[in-house]
Amino acid sequence: MIKDFFESVGRYFLFLKQVFRKPEKWGIFWKQAVLETDKLILSSIIITGVISVFIGGVLVIQTASNLENPIIDKMYVGYMVRESLVLEFCSTMIALILAGKMGSNIASEIGSMRITEQIDAMEMMGVNPAGFLVLPKVVSATVLSPVLMLMSFALGLVGGYAVVSATGIITTAQYLTGLKFCYNGFYVFYSCFKMSLFCFLISSISAFNGYYAKGGSLGVGYSSTRSIIVSSILILMFDLIVTQLMLY
Amino acid sequence: MIRVEHIYKGFDGVTVLKDITTDYEAGKCNMIIGRSGSGKTVLLKNLIGLLEPDRGEIFYGDQKLSAMTYDEKKALRQKIGILFQGSALFDFATVIENVMFPMDFFTDWTRAQKIERARFCLNRVNVINSDSKYPNELSGGMQKRVGIARAIALNPSYLFCDEPNSGLDPYTSILIDQLISELTREYGMTTVVNTHDMNSILEIGDKINFIHQGTLLWQGDKTSILSTDCHELRDFLCANTLARNIIEGKR
Repeated sequence: MIKDFFESVGRYFLFLKQVFRKPEKWGIFWKQAVLETDKLILSSIIITGVISVFIGGVLVIQTASNLENPIIDKMYVGYMVRESLVLEFCSTMIALILAGKMGSNIASEIGSMRITEQIDAMEMMGVNPAGFLVLPKVVSATVLSPVLMLMSFALGLVGGYAVVSATGIITTAQYLTGLKFCYNGFYVFYSCFKMSLFCFLISSISAFNGYYAKGGSLGVGYSSTRSIIVSSILILMFDLIVTQLMLY
Repeated sequence: MIRVEHIYKGFDGVTVLKDITTDYEAGKCNMIIGRSGSGKTVLLKNLIGLLEPDRGEIFYGDQKLSAMTYDEKKALRQKIGILFQGSALFDFATVIENVMFPMDFFTDWTRAQKIERARFCLNRVNVINSDSKYPNELSGGMQKRVGIARAIALNPSYLFCDEPNSGLDPYTSILIDQLISELTREYGMTTVVNTHDMNSILEIGDKINFIHQGTLLWQGDKTSILSTDCHELRDFLCANTLARNIIEGKR
């Protein structure tokens, strides 16, 4: 099992070497990158938005219910919601959701192409299949995922505001004061960086699993499941490492 | 011309190909035949470089396949056209985009020139008015034809076909065989066809290699095959009614 693990890690890095070879034609690469942006990023906007709005609302209620102490100013609800969203929820939680959506999409698409010999056909034409199929996915997921994070952050705050306005749990003025309290722009950069890293892991690991899928449709299903599990574990591991490195 | 010298290939300790030595001539339909599991596909995959032989060498002209650099292999692959068993058309592309795919990568033609060439190839294989269809909208025979059109898009020097008739009705099979044979002569390609279809063997087999349990047991052509003394080949041929009748008639 340990041998298999190290073999897989080695193969993953060799795969990345193949992915990051210079594209045969930049025009084709950019065209693919635009298509992948639509498929991976734009199509994730709705799910990310809906989840962010609701989580923002829930965070407000939970935080307010835990700050019953009269000494603590109610504006801290807004402050804590903002910090929770920017530090953890908008990057890590959204990345875990994307590991399911984006990861299964990539692994099953590439896995199906592998088992139907489409990848072999490309290779035999002299095209680098990893470069053509995977590089645009990795680039668009890594470069544009911070946009999803920023959108999630904004919508989370809006969701919180909506709950505050609707329930009167705290005043909107207190909520807005809390949002502006002790604002640290570095946290936004930290969260964007984490999101980029996580989306790089999701796209490359899922593509790797799909690329080496074998055993027919069952193999495609297995590669899809495996990519979600491995991506999720690595997201949590790298969350810990990056947080330690960047915040301490 | 492709030359194969003493190649061996095994998986997990089981030897699948044993000491295969042969050559495939230009302008001819070279057939690799044998029962299922005999090692035909493994031999074909070794020939096209999807697998590497454990021992032995494959030569394209005078160039040793195993000694080629990445760029040399890439250049060679641009001279190779392949028809896969399942056609392997790209799901994300329409018929015409599939045929234009190799042109997009390896030519500097304008879009109009690529379309013209793709239409020429599609007409050559009798696929007309299907440019904007996706592979899943085509019948098995049509998919094979589009696969052939894509394979010949860049005027290849080598054409490899893996079970071109599998899953096709006898009439369509004959049309595909005739097409492969015509294109081989027309473009002077070195064509290697992997099949166990007796009609194909008797119809277009200019040179035939019979593989049995990983060993090359017999080489010849479509006329000499019916009078073979090779016991295993006779058994293989007699499993087909047409061939059996011809062989017994000859006796």
